[in-house]
Amino acid sequence: MGLAIYALVSVPGTWFPGASTQFVGARAFTVSRGSAVADGDALAITATDATGLALIAANVDVRTLDYPIVAWQGSGFPANADVRFLWRTDYAPNKLNSLPVPIVAGRLAPLTMAGNPEWIGRVRGVALAVRGPLGEPARIAGVTLAPGGVTGQLRDVLGEWSAFEPWSGTSINTITGGAEVQALPLPTVLVVAGAIALAAWFVLAWRRREVAGLPAAIGVVFLAAWIVLDTQWAANLVRQVVATRVQYGGKDWRASHLAAEDAPLFAFIEKARAKLPPGPARVFVVADAAYFRGRAAYHLYPHNVLFDPFADTLPQPSWLKPGDYVLVWHRRGVQYSASEHKLRLGDGEPIAAEAVLVEPGAALLKVL
Amino acid sequence: MDALALIAGNALPWCLGAAFLLALPRRAIADNAGEVAWTAGAGYLLGAFLLTVWMRVLSLVGVKFGVLPIVAPLVVLTAVLAWLAWRRAPGAPAMTMRAAWHALLRSPGLEGAARVAWWSALAWLAIRFTLLAVEVATRPLYPWDAWTQWATKARVWYELGGIAPFARVAAWLAANGGVYFDASPEYPPTMPLLQVYQSLLLGRWDDALMNGSWWQTAIALALVLYGGLRSLRASALAALAGAFLVSSLPLANTHVALAGYADLPLAATYVAAALALLRWIAARDVRDAVGALVLAAALTQIKNPGWFWAATLVPGLVVAVWPHRGARIVLAGFALAAIALVALARFQLRLFNYDLRLTYAPAWGDLAESYFLLGNWHLLWYGALGVACLAWRRLFEPGLAPLTTIVGAGLMFLFVVFGFTTASYYITDQTTVNRATLHLAPLVVVFLILAWQSFAEDWNARHAQPAAA
Repeated sequence: MGLAIYALVSVPGTWFPGASTQFVGARAFTVSRGSAVADGDALAITATDATGLALIAANVDVRTLDYPIVAWQGSGFPANADVRFLWRTDYAPNKLNSLPVPIVAGRLAPLTMAGNPEWIGRVRGVALAVRGPLGEPARIAGVTLAPGGVTGQLRDVLGEWSAFEPWSGTSINTITGGAEVQALPLPTVLVVAGAIALAAWFVLAWRRREVAGLPAAIGVVFLAAWIVLDTQWAANLVRQVVATRVQYGGKDWRASHLAAEDAPLFAFIEKARAKLPPGPARVFVVADAAYFRGRAAYHLYPHNVLFDPFADTLPQPSWLKPGDYVLVWHRRGVQYSASEHKLRLGDGEPIAAEAVLVEPGAALLKVL
Repeated sequence: MDALALIAGNALPWCLGAAFLLALPRRAIADNAGEVAWTAGAGYLLGAFLLTVWMRVLSLVGVKFGVLPIVAPLVVLTAVLAWLAWRRAPGAPAMTMRAAWHALLRSPGLEGAARVAWWSALAWLAIRFTLLAVEVATRPLYPWDAWTQWATKARVWYELGGIAPFARVAAWLAANGGVYFDASPEYPPTMPLLQVYQSLLLGRWDDALMNGSWWQTAIALALVLYGGLRSLRASALAALAGAFLVSSLPLANTHVALAGYADLPLAATYVAAALALLRWIAARDVRDAVGALVLAAALTQIKNPGWFWAATLVPGLVVAVWPHRGARIVLAGFALAAIALVALARFQLRLFNYDLRLTYAPAWGDLAESYFLLGNWHLLWYGALGVACLAWRRLFEPGLAPLTTIVGAGLMFLFVVFGFTTASYYITDQTTVNRATLHLAPLVVVFLILAWQSFAEDWNARHAQPAAA
């Protein structure tokens, strides 16, 4: 009953629309600015470009009137990031429209587009622009264009509660309990329902003068609500275990890493390790993205690795000594001249070095 | 073969810790309700810590890490401690085990719906721990800090066969290869050493299987909750409810499945230390006092904030030792701490990578969202608040005052961290806030159960039906 009232009160647009929900998955997006990597079915934005901007875009073709709700499934956004939803319509094809996307607990909140004067005609393209410092990668699973409506609203709420929440980089910090952003969180609903049930019980018990059972009633209602939440969490855990087994089941340590999110980096590091001396060597790791600097260093231990965990910096030339190594993974501003055997890190002085291993976007260089 | 090596090797910390506890003097024979669960759970946490202490000793004297140098002396030590325990109370451990086994099978005297609830909760927990075991044994090291500041050390120490120092950039550059670098070189070595131990048992580096200690810690945490609550007069069903609540907290589960952070081991050790202290307050047994002290010491060696969490136990001790003046002493201590905080903040002090500052800017909205709306804690904070309101009359009576004071000190610590340091930023993006809260969460479960039981006793005394004439 409460859910139905909520759906009637909160629905944007018409109560009974004809359109069905459209989901544009991460695979449909292209990265126009910054860098991003596939993270399961999602896209992990690992770095912004030199101007501090990352931009992903996809083509769509929907009638704005049918879709008053736009919900980006994104997580891991710093509170001070400037995230904007961009779109073009056939009504004004040369105009790029923009709306800020609120960040709630690191996640992107849904936008109600009904009433927005620029949400008109047919939408031909949608994009998400992210400006600001990205510590850990921000993850985008896609965007949902929802028609709203009473049944749609109810379906959305139930869908949000039962949505699969796979492990992501932010899982260790926070668990949403279903969809990344929820209009009506399940714990709140259960607490309200539990309070009403207890109040009803107490009124009846008071009339019968049998209130001695209140502590037990509180305990039973509390545990029942907890079990409802835990059933949702357990179901999510089962789905996650199945997904993990599909990804890693039956594989040894190396094969598991070759099936992981950073498989190309791991494969390159394995080749680099074969070229490094057996004893621990000093290795400077550089990469645009903090994620890859850290992962490359982790895969290189027990070599004596130096990397910047927090900022995209380059080692100063004075730090490098003959016999040291520099491992480069997708880092702009690093130049190597094979003919002159010279390595230049950013604007620093060239250093004598030789390439030990070179692949597209990656290299292992030995300082001479 | 891997499974055999891991099972055999992992039996060592369980046995070592249990033998250590049982060898300590005790007034009563160990047949109290929940004693087996307590000894096993707290024993594992103690045994795992003592194991890493021994590894640090080996490294200090230059003995290369290997299964034999680590395991053999500890097996001998375990045997000696077990013999001491046997001498202290011949037959008692076997008798206690038999009593616990019978209690388990007979669902401690429960009947009807309570009996169904007992077995349902045990089955639910068994399924949960099975799922977590599959996940932790299958997924290679995944979460961020696990591979930037914890397992980094484990990999180096495993490959080198000893503890090599880690340092910041300047020291790394100056040492010319003599020290190592990672994102947090000053973090303590306990958890990486447990990963080294698992790798030694396996005989190879495997960054999925080396994380078995996190799963065992979760089991130990459930046992500690059940055994600790039982020994503090909670009914069998209430104690099992406590173990169920703590074992089903989504964020705690996540820290097992995505193993590699030190927050869950810190949380388990903290609640075990607090329960050992509460047990000592209740029974004044040397065993519990020593247990509390060693576990408090372990806190400082698991993660740097462990120093502060260990300090939050002191107010509980003060209130228990001086029941009449304790509350005033604690309040004066809190006031002094507040003054010291204000004074230190003027010097832009940096503590464990957080800048202490006077700017008071807690993000209450985000904090409330994290505690009450998201899925991190199920209904833990609703329950804790509700029970605190229901049982407020008895929170500072002798039975509950030490626990209430420790929980209060823990909440104040979190309040200071998130209100007056740069960590407040991490509330808004939901990073550190939940992990820091996880340290306190199991103790909040203990508070929830004991305060609810206290409320129930109070309510029943006032509203019980008069006996028929």
